Amino acid sequence: MTVALALPTRRVEEWKYSDLARALGDVGFGDDSAEVLAGPVPAGVEVFALDEPNRPDWVKAHYGKLSANVVSAISLAKARGGIALRIPKGKIIEDPVTLDFAGKGHVRALLVLEEGAALTLFERCDAAETRNAGLEIVVAPNARLDHVRISPVSGVVQVEEVSITLARDAFYHGHFANFGARLSRIELAITLDGEGAEAHLSGVSVLSGDAHADVTTHVTHAVGRTLSTQLFKKVVGGNGQAVYQGKVTVAHGADGADSRQTAKALLLGMRAEADLKPELEIFADDVKCAHGAAVGDLDSDSLFYLRARGIPEKEARHLLIHAFLEDALTDVTNADLREQVRGAVSTALDQVAT
Amino acid sequence: MLDIKNLHVTVAGKEILRGLNLRVDAGQVHAIMGPNGSGKSTLSYVLAGRAGYEITEGSMTYNGENLAALPPEQRAAKGVFLAMQYPVEIPGVTTMMFLKSALNAQRRGRGESEMDAIGILKTVRKKAAALNISEDMLKRALNVGFSGGEKKRLEILQMSLFEPKLAILDETDSGLDIDALRLVAEGVNSLRAPERAMLVITHYQRLLDYIVPDRIHVLANGRIVAEGGKELALELEAKGYEQIVKDAA
Repeated sequence: MTVALALPTRRVEEWKYSDLARALGDVGFGDDSAEVLAGPVPAGVEVFALDEPNRPDWVKAHYGKLSANVVSAISLAKARGGIALRIPKGKIIEDPVTLDFAGKGHVRALLVLEEGAALTLFERCDAAETRNAGLEIVVAPNARLDHVRISPVSGVVQVEEVSITLARDAFYHGHFANFGARLSRIELAITLDGEGAEAHLSGVSVLSGDAHADVTTHVTHAVGRTLSTQLFKKVVGGNGQAVYQGKVTVAHGADGADSRQTAKALLLGMRAEADLKPELEIFADDVKCAHGAAVGDLDSDSLFYLRARGIPEKEARHLLIHAFLEDALTDVTNADLREQVRGAVSTALDQVAT
Repeated sequence: MLDIKNLHVTVAGKEILRGLNLRVDAGQVHAIMGPNGSGKSTLSYVLAGRAGYEITEGSMTYNGENLAALPPEQRAAKGVFLAMQYPVEIPGVTTMMFLKSALNAQRRGRGESEMDAIGILKTVRKKAAALNISEDMLKRALNVGFSGGEKKRLEILQMSLFEPKLAILDETDSGLDIDALRLVAEGVNSLRAPERAMLVITHYQRLLDYIVPDRIHVLANGRIVAEGGKELALELEAKGYEQIVKDAA
């Protein structure tokens, strides 16, 4: 099968800070299929391997329906495998379910939470191979998903697109800890499609060396009385590059939509770079939207205060960097996962020359 | 304990201290009074080791050691403490966590063993209670959302916890109502000790009603222009800085 889908160039506005074609080189993404494993899957959760024949109706109804961009279209066209999970109506799962992405190439996953279901999803990925993953999430009325993704530092290209649709009173809470890659891109396309739906996004990036990490979000308030919040913090050392593009669209007639987004970066290297671009597109009348972005160095008053209290400079800088990330880190609801994110952050900070 | 000789300090190319002389011995409380812009805060910052304060001439010796050669954290470990006029707010670091890090950093700096978390917690609680600092304040982020009085009380709590040899209080009275002032002064007075020296920097005589100094120095245009006992504060209050500075000239 030949796919005539070309990779986006930097001339495409959404890919201005992430040169995918260049990072991939002549070989591109290739035609391989990567893998994804789910575990442990509690009783009652339906799992379907996407390379199997005879897709059940719930897969047919939702698979490939939310893909939002050309990269996701490529993974849909090329991925031969992947996984689909269904959390049945009213099923509440306490312990996190893990999705592990591995191998080279394209891969897809589908997660359907039926009405009133609740799940904590922990997403991990092996960093060794070039991968293009597409994850679709459907959250039915009154269902709740807590989602934590840790992307370890990687020397290759890792792209993931997450498309989420939220029905009436559905709740989504996502945290994305990203430590950079040759090119790392997480794209979140979220549609608040029912009144009372909420999406809360947070994330941290700690980059050193030549690492690149791009978090691009597009939250659409399709109807009114919906809430979205975003809090992204980046610490960039060495020649690292952190990107945040956050677009919030409030559709015509979506009165009572409430949206807040904050992105902040701390630059710790002379050649470190942060590109923060919050963006609002409002077609409704009665909405509350706030956004802010700030890039800076450590505060010299704070640094002096800590040193004057006996804390040596290096330790004081570490304390302030941790403090900078703290509100985004405490946003992780699940205590075990929060400790995992904290551990990964500490390890990454050791690599940042401070 | 502290011996400052002919100290000249430049900030951003401008000379602020112009030949300051000051000697404070252990067990004594000295007050530095002076009008705005006389160099009071510059003196406190240069003693604590803030960057950007350049000593162009003169010396400051602390227990026989050249203070200027030490980074701020080593000065703190050796017992120099500056209660700041504007304590900084640090979101993301709880007050308790900060106190613990600072105390143990100072102990490490002196080659002492660290104190365990429970020991520190007990000590802090006891000292905090005396200063009317609630458990809730200790759990909150450092100085974030604290009132002016709460911030100053926290500075005094730190002084009480770190037990410095030389305590410098920079405008600790500013922004305090009379009750808070009394509480802070009581905290300071309880720390007066034969082995400890204090330098109380203030614009107003008011604080010196509560913290009675052994000696008062008047700072104007970057040098000490008048000195005397505690009665000098009353004279200043009556005559104003302008007259005292004129008399001294």
